[in-house]
Amino acid sequence: MAGGGIPEQGGSSRGRKKKALDAVINVVPAIDLLSCAIAFLLFTAVWTQISRLQAQSQGSGLPQTAEQQKQLQVTLSLTEKGMQLTTSAGAAIDLPSLGRSPDGGPVYDVKSLAEKLKQLKTEYPDQSAITVAVDDAVPYADLVRAIDTCVGAGLAGIAVSATG
Amino acid sequence: MPIVQPGKRPAKRFEKSRLLGGKIAKGRRNVNAELNVVSMVDMMTMLVIFLLQQFSATGEVLFMQKDIKLPDAQHGQAIEVAPVVAISSAQVVVTGQKVADVADLERDGSFSIAALEERLRDEKKRWDFIHQNDPDKDKNWKGDVNIQADVKVPFRIVKRVMYSANQAGYFNVNFATLDQGNIQAFSQAKPSAK
Repeated sequence: MAGGGIPEQGGSSRGRKKKALDAVINVVPAIDLLSCAIAFLLFTAVWTQISRLQAQSQGSGLPQTAEQQKQLQVTLSLTEKGMQLTTSAGAAIDLPSLGRSPDGGPVYDVKSLAEKLKQLKTEYPDQSAITVAVDDAVPYADLVRAIDTCVGAGLAGIAVSATG
Repeated sequence: MPIVQPGKRPAKRFEKSRLLGGKIAKGRRNVNAELNVVSMVDMMTMLVIFLLQQFSATGEVLFMQKDIKLPDAQHGQAIEVAPVVAISSAQVVVTGQKVADVADLERDGSFSIAALEERLRDEKKRWDFIHQNDPDKDKNWKGDVNIQADVKVPFRIVKRVMYSANQAGYFNVNFATLDQGNIQAFSQAKPSAK
């Protein structure tokens, strides 16, 4: 580790004793500090990255703002048959399920939903609210996937309600 | 203190003796070995950098449980500190305390879960007590509750949990998911880095 010493400049210092340029750095405190940091960080590290998808429960009693009332009412229904996207403007898009998963639940066409929501967002750029109405039998995973698709399309103001 | 090689060595008084000390000291090698610690310091630095990336100032709000498998999501936000309602296929737990069995909930026809509502009301009372001197207490109340449910839990159970939370004053529901956004960004960035 001692290599790399720079030779002294000039050859006129014949009689003089050459001064060693190698310096020894004491790395022991650095190692101590790093060991403590590693121990602390290992204890406090978060290994699983859990995130959240925010939603409001429909009928939470919160008053609607004038801006919300002006906005288009978009509803995404999740049922056993598939998904249905309806708007207060009269549009109704059916997205039937792609089949059945091994555990018997419907497989929703999330790709088509994402496309339809993107189209909706381009038509109504200020639209951010959407109501997700879910059937009782729909599993939590499908609800989360639907909400995630809505957030991905820019509709982040999600209200969750039950169908019917 | 250096490790000393076994063998003959002179007594202290003979160490400087030309007659004895020199003879015994003949051929003695320096047993102090220098350790190259550069690579170890490098490795430790890398470890510290990696662990700093994993560090979270808020700590773990939600703990992974054996009986709860969370769904994946790509557009999730960072989780915030709020009461956690964990719903597995067997039971409903609020911040570590069991409040209901899922089988009982399936049988029971009422919409609200009384024990859950009561527990959440207690949580709200605690929050109110902590923030009693806050002049903007009502403004600061966000009404957040984290719902951590298993992928297979049907919405009829989630719905009842949401209703009970709503009754207790928690109207903002945060659905817990496994963050896939960071993982995807990492896997997309990896080939371009090569």
